[in-house]
Amino acid sequence: MSAVLIERGLAFVSSIVVGVTATFQLRNELPVRGLDAVVTKVLLALMILGCVLALLASVNVLGAAK
Amino acid sequence: MEASTSTHADHGAHDHIHPPPEGFIRKYVFSLDHKVIGFQYFFVGLLLMVIAGSFAELIRIQLMDPKGTFMSFSTYNVMFTMHGTAMVWLVTIPLVTGAIGNFVMPLQIGARDVAFPWLNMISFWLVPLSAITLFSTFLVGAPDAGWTEYPPVSLQQGVGGALWCLAIILVGVSSTLTGMNFTVTVAKMRAPGMTWTRIPLFTWATFSTALINMIATVALSAALLALFLEHAFNVPFFDSTRGGAAVLYQHMFWFYSHPAVYIFILPAFGVISEVLPTFARKPIFGYKMIAFSGLAIAILGFAVWAHHMFPSGLAPWLQIPFMILTYAIGIPTGIKLFSWLATLWGGRIHFTTPMLYCLAFLITFTFGGVTGIFLASVPADLHEHGSYFVVAHFHYVVAGGALLGFLAGVVYWYPKATGRMMSERLGKLSFWLFFVGFNLTFLPMHWLGLEGMPRRYASYEYFAKAFPDSVFWNQFETISSFLMVAAVAIFAFNILWSLRNGVPAGNNPWGARTLEWMIDSPPPYYNFKKIPTVLARPYDFADPLPYLNLDHDVDPYPAPTEAALQPARARA
Amino acid sequence: MATTTLTGHAAVEARYNDVDPVYAETRDMRLLGFVLVLFSDCILFSSFIFAYLYLRTSAPVWPPFVDGHQLPRLDTAFAAVNSVVLFGSGVTMHFALENWKNLKKGAFNMWMILTIILGIAFLGGQAHEYLSAQMTWQGSAFGASFFTLTGMHGFHVFVGVVYLTVLLVQANRGVYTGSKYFGLTAGTLYWHFVDVIWVLLFYLFYLW
Repeated sequence: MSAVLIERGLAFVSSIVVGVTATFQLRNELPVRGLDAVVTKVLLALMILGCVLALLASVNVLGAAK
Repeated sequence: MEASTSTHADHGAHDHIHPPPEGFIRKYVFSLDHKVIGFQYFFVGLLLMVIAGSFAELIRIQLMDPKGTFMSFSTYNVMFTMHGTAMVWLVTIPLVTGAIGNFVMPLQIGARDVAFPWLNMISFWLVPLSAITLFSTFLVGAPDAGWTEYPPVSLQQGVGGALWCLAIILVGVSSTLTGMNFTVTVAKMRAPGMTWTRIPLFTWATFSTALINMIATVALSAALLALFLEHAFNVPFFDSTRGGAAVLYQHMFWFYSHPAVYIFILPAFGVISEVLPTFARKPIFGYKMIAFSGLAIAILGFAVWAHHMFPSGLAPWLQIPFMILTYAIGIPTGIKLFSWLATLWGGRIHFTTPMLYCLAFLITFTFGGVTGIFLASVPADLHEHGSYFVVAHFHYVVAGGALLGFLAGVVYWYPKATGRMMSERLGKLSFWLFFVGFNLTFLPMHWLGLEGMPRRYASYEYFAKAFPDSVFWNQFETISSFLMVAAVAIFAFNILWSLRNGVPAGNNPWGARTLEWMIDSPPPYYNFKKIPTVLARPYDFADPLPYLNLDHDVDPYPAPTEAALQPARARA
Repeated sequence: MATTTLTGHAAVEARYNDVDPVYAETRDMRLLGFVLVLFSDCILFSSFIFAYLYLRTSAPVWPPFVDGHQLPRLDTAFAAVNSVVLFGSGVTMHFALENWKNLKKGAFNMWMILTIILGIAFLGGQAHEYLSAQMTWQGSAFGASFFTLTGMHGFHVFVGVVYLTVLLVQANRGVYTGSKYFGLTAGTLYWHFVDVIWVLLFYLFYLW
């Protein structure tokens, strides 16, 4: 098990866990009003995008092959 | 229900009057009061203006002789660098935003202070700190690549260049915090009933300026941080031998520095919009157009930066949109100009000193704006870039525009700030000295520039061989510039003399209608004992004052007082 | 007014029976001010990102050559793990704030500590990246932009870790009561902001 494979596997699993949790958090935030809630929703959404990017990186769809 | 964001239906934090500050330090040194901070900015800004102005006089003395024997060439380069740097960042921006913006805006919206008084104080103290950092470079080798400090030349300066970056980053933080502070103040702290379309135009201008301040200044800090990293740690952002690009600095620098000129001018526009109706006794023409054109200028100002870079090797497909947008940005300014002219038309004009400054502004700023349109054209700019034509243009808009507007504001609000009228006689004298001196100094520069006299040259010996008349004109300009020195000296004297000897002003000597004139002169530390309610725009002279719940009973149709209309007499 | 469901700060006030219009107005202003400061921080990063985009797109080849050898691309796998560590800390921070709002102090403490640990772990990961990097800060535009941008970001994370620690201590000393906990809200927004900047940097340096 090379270090790279462990890293990729870890990234794959954890990005799914974190991304799904964040999606539920975002869903709960949706009805909340107020400037801080709007900012939180936008940033959570972008963070979920980040998890998607990490997921795609872990399966070599994005980023350099290594 | 979420708290209302436009007006305060229920008086919350802003009804609470805090106890007065105690002790000299709390009252005058580390003050949290926007009025005191405004004074602090004013006096520090004036001092720095005298220093930066002396550098300019040294430049002018050098240019009396085309061989440039008065100073060494490297000293000359330091002089124009430090003159420009100090004037842009330590004089103009602190004075128009920190001095009059701070003092007047909270009063105009019926607030007791700005949103974040602590940050306001920090913003002020960063200015002297920045000035000390900047002038300390004289000890280690001052920067000499112009106020724009382009690499790679600026990278040859050693510690001085790095300190320059730090000094400007410091004053940039000051600006950014002020921008954020004013934005929140105008957005959240207006008196009940003061909707966005009832805000006085100076406050509108300050708000638009604050938006630019808040967004653009950080881009400057980034550019200067990158330059600093290259100075201090040899990080190759701008070194083309290691993959960097010198023109990248220009993009990063001008992305801020173009909106910066709108920071200079928008508050001055705001002053004009206040002074003209008051002394023409007529409502401002086109309130909404003036307010929204200010916002349009603020936004569009971010889209034109590369017109400072036309000769830098930009691709033609890039030059053309910038040229078109630069032409376009003259339109909102034109809208303001015509609205002001329409305000004057048919009015009953009182030629008080603030009004004289405003009328002069209309002439010199428009002139400067027109030469800006010349420079907006790419082919014309390729000829005029780096010549005295550009120097003439920006001095007309900054000194003939922002500075005149600022001075108008100082004379206009001085009675409110101090309770005294400035001497009209000295005021008119310093105005005419400045107006004549300014035009005689900067008008010939247009012609010299078109003939090809380059700027930032310590010696114009070779140019003078081709155009011998230029020697006479440069000497003419230098002599004329001393008229401006006299004007500033008399103005400063007037400020100080009138503090003791000016005619007592009363609350509303000019018969103006915005909220700051409804309270005492000078205002108490808490500004308003009761926060008034606003029912309409302030400029409708035919109607009674649109306010409820004022601290004092005021004449619903205020008129200029005797104190205002007579020249001030010294106390016996 | 009684028919609309309260949300946001108003809901918290109702939950605590702690309606204070004076505080609510101040909080409103402080929130706007804080968001505007975050926005200007955005501009700071955007300026450097512009510089990176400019240098990268005008370079003839990327990664560039230094001393005759082309620099290798950055290691995506490790960075992906480190990124998820940071994103995870954003999720834990959100849980912390939610628990605070629901008066669950114990859970709040746990999630805050977890957030701080994950933040420190991210910094550790960045240290590893820096030590194993093949390029230098001074050697090329690649090193210049990478180390400057990720360095600025790392500095923001470091400040955030300190800030969150201070907030944790303050919360446990009883500084935040009832519906008055703006510091925690600000800390959460700051932390999410730092997170999202990393999303952009991760894409720009590792995936593009």
